Amino acid sequence: MKSISRKLIVLFAALALLLAACSNDKDSSKDGNKDKDKAGDKTDSQELEVAVFQGGYGDAYWKEIAKMFEEANPGTTVNITANPDIGELIRPKIIAGTPPDVVYLNQTDPSGVTQGLIKEEGFLELTDLFEENALNEDVALKDKILPGILESVYMSPYGDEKIYMAPYNYNVMGLWYNKTLFDEEGIEIPKTWDDFFALNEVAKEHDRALFTYQGASPGYIEEILIPAVYSLGGQESLDQMLTYDPEFWKSDVALDALAIVEEIATTENALMNGTVALDHTQSQTSFMQGDSMFIPNGNWFEGEMEEAPREEGFEFGFLGVPAFDANDPLLALTSVEQMYIPKAAANPELAKEFLKFLYTEESVKLNGEFAKAAMAVDGASDLVKEYLTESSYNVYKAVESGMYAMSGNFAPVPTGVNVEPREVLFDQVASVMNKEMTKEEWADKMYEVYTKVAEKLE
Amino acid sequence: MNSKSKTAFILLCILPTLIIFGVFIVYPVTQVFYKSLFSSSGFGGGGEIFIGLDNFKELFTDEIFLKSLKNTGFLMVVVPTITLFLSLVFASILSFGNLREKHLYRTIFFFPSILSFVVIGILWSFIYHPNMGIINEVLTWMGLNQYALVWLGSKDTVLWAIALVMVWQAVGYYMVMYLAGMDGVPKELYEAASMDGANVVQQFFKITIPMLWEIIRITIIFSINGVLNISFVLVIVMTAGGPNNSSQVALTYMYKQAFVNANFGYAMAIAVIVFLVSLILSLISNKLTERETH
Repeated sequence: MKSISRKLIVLFAALALLLAACSNDKDSSKDGNKDKDKAGDKTDSQELEVAVFQGGYGDAYWKEIAKMFEEANPGTTVNITANPDIGELIRPKIIAGTPPDVVYLNQTDPSGVTQGLIKEEGFLELTDLFEENALNEDVALKDKILPGILESVYMSPYGDEKIYMAPYNYNVMGLWYNKTLFDEEGIEIPKTWDDFFALNEVAKEHDRALFTYQGASPGYIEEILIPAVYSLGGQESLDQMLTYDPEFWKSDVALDALAIVEEIATTENALMNGTVALDHTQSQTSFMQGDSMFIPNGNWFEGEMEEAPREEGFEFGFLGVPAFDANDPLLALTSVEQMYIPKAAANPELAKEFLKFLYTEESVKLNGEFAKAAMAVDGASDLVKEYLTESSYNVYKAVESGMYAMSGNFAPVPTGVNVEPREVLFDQVASVMNKEMTKEEWADKMYEVYTKVAEKLE
Repeated sequence: MNSKSKTAFILLCILPTLIIFGVFIVYPVTQVFYKSLFSSSGFGGGGEIFIGLDNFKELFTDEIFLKSLKNTGFLMVVVPTITLFLSLVFASILSFGNLREKHLYRTIFFFPSILSFVVIGILWSFIYHPNMGIINEVLTWMGLNQYALVWLGSKDTVLWAIALVMVWQAVGYYMVMYLAGMDGVPKELYEAASMDGANVVQQFFKITIPMLWEIIRITIIFSINGVLNISFVLVIVMTAGGPNNSSQVALTYMYKQAFVNANFGYAMAIAVIVFLVSLILSLISNKLTERETH
């Protein structure tokens, strides 16, 4: 009997150890937080954990830049963790209080990690970082970034002019068409929405629908709707929409913008058959195979669909987004990829140094070479021209020469609101496209949701 | 060994299981109830606010939640009914019929059960593809163009489309269970019945079903619980809840609220409701089927 009780004791001891180990972990991380101010000066803990989203831009750039940073700062180690599901990988670490030091993950990521941290106010403030001079240069870092970006809700999510996120690549989105078809058949690209719908006849002649979109991810309609609101009502209307002013949905601007979707739904041949049921790969493939004249997407389009089948002679052409007034330039929607340092990061000083390092010219070039993209830095698209796909470079160029690029990101939803207005807005697209809902019903629905949000905002 | 040491030994043996059960089942489940009373983002920061039953109050005015609950209920009724009925019919045909290809059919019917749900979802989303899927191709080829619908893109067809996939996936699994049960039914019963002039259909309802009732009872509960699980994967893979939440089920909505929208407390309130509903359903089906045995 003795042996059994002894075993029991051993078992309990093991269990106690296990539990202790768990709780110790928490304690030590808390201590780590308290010490974090000191950690910067210590030379022995120069290890940086960097978590990056591995999407259309890959992870090769990050591995290279980590090597460069280590060489430039002897004694430091940078560990890059890249994964398409990086949000799910770092979520437990964030909850346990031991987050990575630098994270690159967009707010729109399906893991919701960045979105959650915004609600939680879980970032280290970066305003001072951008006030400081850029690495080895005499300009403030903030002056190197493309104008308007640091002030946007992407980087200053709380509207208090404090910067919490650092910009990585910038994306340009709008409508795409088959350039070969338009050039060969002498089709003029539409400057206004009226021109756009007039092309329906041409589309019919060429045995294709006018428009398709990523049915299962209706959020892509944003790339039309936000520029349309801007085109109709200017920045004022757009701000109303993005900051949840219910009255916006009672305005003509809102109804006229929603009317685009309704018109696509109700005009014969305008919407490609079956669009609502297709995911982004399926609909984009259909577009490239010549089933539709236009599709919304971003500058990553060509890289994303590298392997996809296409109709003969297909060439990517970026239209932008038509305006309502023929005298206005074409529009395009831009967004910025987000990087940040979590509040509980173990090594925030080194993390800031690392972020600064990312904005050097070598880094921007390296990013062009390996990620085939332009960072949100002045002149970046020309620095990296040789590495970009042709269509991608053309998109950046178009924005720099006349096309009006605008950013539009929905403000964070206040805590305690359990609806996501942006999601509700675009969920309805399917119903409108299926002719089960009119634009008036759509606007009423949004009014209701916005009212709910506005109540909590006060 | 005396009885005292025997008890100690038994305790020792079940201790690891008890601990694992406690840590991974009991503790999380109690946490679900506790966290459902908070407004929280699930990131463990300082943002947890105690709000009592507000999450539940809001739930019952949230039309997406009500729709998802309705959809889950629909699948819980339709899928087990069709699946179990078909499984029983197939099993009795294979068991009593004189088919030479018996073993081939058994393998074919069971095949979907060993495929991963994700694979099944992707497979069927191509079968349902509106422009190049086999269903619409065949319908168009037969000249039935007006019936070539956008199966996953219309609110009227999407749930049936998903239900069909779930039936297809599960029929073989339950069929094998019933086949095993049918081997245990004495052949004399059937001989006696056929002598008395009972036809095959009568034999099926009067002998096979009553003799298998214990197994059927268990499979009903299995199947209802299975619907909860499998519908989650299929909806995520095939429709992402669309069009406009027409195929949203309770678990996908919970997942979305918890991990996409970072409304963790609200999601836990959904979990509580799902827990209660499935508990009640299991109790009801248990009670109903029990009474019928007498």
